[in-house]
Amino acid sequence: MADLLSIGASGVKTYQTALATVSENIANVGNGAYARRSTNVTELAPVQGVLSAAAAMTGYGSIATGINRASDMFKSAAVRDSGADLARTQAGTVWLNSIQSALTGSDLSTSLTNFFNAAQSVAADPASPTPRAAMLESATTVANAFTATGNALAQVTADMDASADQATASLTSLSAALAKVNDGLSRSAPNTAQAASLADQRDSLLDQMSAIVDVHVTLDAAGRATVTAGGSNGPTLVSGNDAASVTYVRNGSGAVSFAVQMGGNYSVLTPNGGALGGIADGAQRIADTRDQLNTLATNFVNGVNSVQAQGRDLNNNAGQPLFSVGAAPTDVSLTLADPSGIAAAAVGGGTRDNSNILALGTLRTSGGFETKVTTLVAANAAALQNRNAVAAAQSAIHDGAVSARDAVSGVDLDSEAVDLMRFQQAYSASSRVIQAARDTFQSILEIR
Amino acid sequence: MTIAPSTSLFYDRASSTMRSLSAQADRLNQQITAQSNILAPSDDSVAWQRLQGLSQADANGAAYAANVTVAKTVLQQADGALGTIGDQLQQVKTLVVQARNGTLPASGKVAIANQLGDILSQIVSTANVADTRGGPLFGGNSGGQAVTQNADGSLSFTTGEGASIPIGDGQSVQPSSNAAGFLKTGTSDLGSAITAIMAALNAGTDIPAAAADTVQQVSDQVATAQASIGARAARVDIVSNQLTDAKADRSATRDQVDGFDYATAITQLQKTMTSLQATQASFSKLSSLSLFDYLR
Repeated sequence: MADLLSIGASGVKTYQTALATVSENIANVGNGAYARRSTNVTELAPVQGVLSAAAAMTGYGSIATGINRASDMFKSAAVRDSGADLARTQAGTVWLNSIQSALTGSDLSTSLTNFFNAAQSVAADPASPTPRAAMLESATTVANAFTATGNALAQVTADMDASADQATASLTSLSAALAKVNDGLSRSAPNTAQAASLADQRDSLLDQMSAIVDVHVTLDAAGRATVTAGGSNGPTLVSGNDAASVTYVRNGSGAVSFAVQMGGNYSVLTPNGGALGGIADGAQRIADTRDQLNTLATNFVNGVNSVQAQGRDLNNNAGQPLFSVGAAPTDVSLTLADPSGIAAAAVGGGTRDNSNILALGTLRTSGGFETKVTTLVAANAAALQNRNAVAAAQSAIHDGAVSARDAVSGVDLDSEAVDLMRFQQAYSASSRVIQAARDTFQSILEIR
Repeated sequence: MTIAPSTSLFYDRASSTMRSLSAQADRLNQQITAQSNILAPSDDSVAWQRLQGLSQADANGAAYAANVTVAKTVLQQADGALGTIGDQLQQVKTLVVQARNGTLPASGKVAIANQLGDILSQIVSTANVADTRGGPLFGGNSGGQAVTQNADGSLSFTTGEGASIPIGDGQSVQPSSNAAGFLKTGTSDLGSAITAIMAALNAGTDIPAAAADTVQQVSDQVATAQASIGARAARVDIVSNQLTDAKADRSATRDQVDGFDYATAITQLQKTMTSLQATQASFSKLSSLSLFDYLR
């Protein structure tokens, strides 16, 4: 009856392992990176060639041969790809939103309208100081609006630089971590809890990397990941135990580029997805917007100042500049402090003449400043609107991919409860087998 | 095929659904507060741009309306002042007719001459009134006094015209005119003419015909000037009505472009709240179900 005893013992041991795996699953139900594990149970088959009747009839019980990690590399890849697409759109949206707030925050278009309308009030009563003072006030508001808008856009650029630096730094450290995981995978035996745990870490790192840049992943037999960024022909981020470092540079014209350094070799990374893709998209738009705003500010200041210079103020002096410009074209400030300095009259027109200030109306039409500001905002808003729609679609795709992956690798407490009962019963039954073996053996010993 | 969600996916989904419903409710709430569907340019860039155009037109309309008010006031003043001057000129003409009466004694002529002198200075002071803006109503392009009476009785005037007031895109109105336009004739002016008539009356000679003609001509010119001011006032009234109509039209257009409607927004909000409550209820029911509760 030694066989019965050892079969029972093998069952107890096997189901101890299985119960431990189920408990591990239950314990990790809240762990997003965890993939469900199951125990491989195989029969200990009778050894061939043993010429014993008993041995030929029965096996030797069961054995837990290893831990299976429930995963599907294609579904994981789909989650990464859709995640990279979504992250790119979402990151782009962040910058478009920032541009929108920067452009609309200080209400540049309205303050321009108010400035030109204040000039109309001066035209109705050119000799009076009150409308002139009101016009200077609205000129101050325009100057402040230009400055504030320019500063807000500069801040957006600075924020983008900071987040790009952060993103590239975390991509570098994720790559280094993945190289360590690769190293661990090459040392660990397959189908062990250690290997499963390393694979969990690997997949989690890959998910995080794909949120930063679109990654192409190939896995070798040991589960080690080789990662290229920006498509399958892009620069390699991780290969075996080697990891690359990624850096970010923005040139004077506002275009951004990313470089990958691996073992002394530099290559250019062109992101097609992830936050870096969004940054590359946003950078161009921020640069364009700043350019257009700068041109607008310069044209406005030069236009108004040249109208001033053509006319005569209340004291019949040539008009002095209304605005001056600081370091950046949008750093507009008011230089004219005296309301009587507004050159409402044409040369030789007299104090009650308004023909020069009417030229501001002409400038308003020909310059189209308000329309340009509105168009700038609307163009950006249209792009943002489009991105939001795309993001909604991509987020549905991503959700679907996550559901599909989770259906394979996620932990469902109800199924675990069923498994728990099943293995518990198998364990109890195996212990009963041991008891039966003992009882049977005992009955033999009791023969006298 | 439906996929049975894993436990963490079930919680993630429930939380993201409830979050999105709360966000939707919050947005509707903001729309109701702002009474607008468009809270940011990106909500509808085309509509936003149109609304910006409407706001700009509103601001322009308000600026023009203010100018229209100024123009109207000045035109009314000019009309009133010209009416007064016209009445006074009527008196001058009556007095001239009286003075030509051969039976009038010399003392009567002197009295008429004195009366004419008073009327002339009244006309000059009427022509020199200030408008609501503080400048001379019938002045020129500078702030100087509109009419000055010289020692010889003749009048001198400022040059140029006051500024035309812009009251619409490409539209402006001259709210008054230079006193030279109606108090001066080709070679003479009202001051010289009345002074000449006074001199003749004081000397007992015949009233010079040229001077009487000048008075008649000035009187006609004042009537014409008043009619012209009246026509301008009528035009300004039309522009003023146009501005009011355009404002009402813009308001209607804004409602159309924005498309905000209380009934719809509040119904939507109610629907969202109901669906949020249902989601919360079904979540708490489903999450309380666990096979582990039955394990003993």
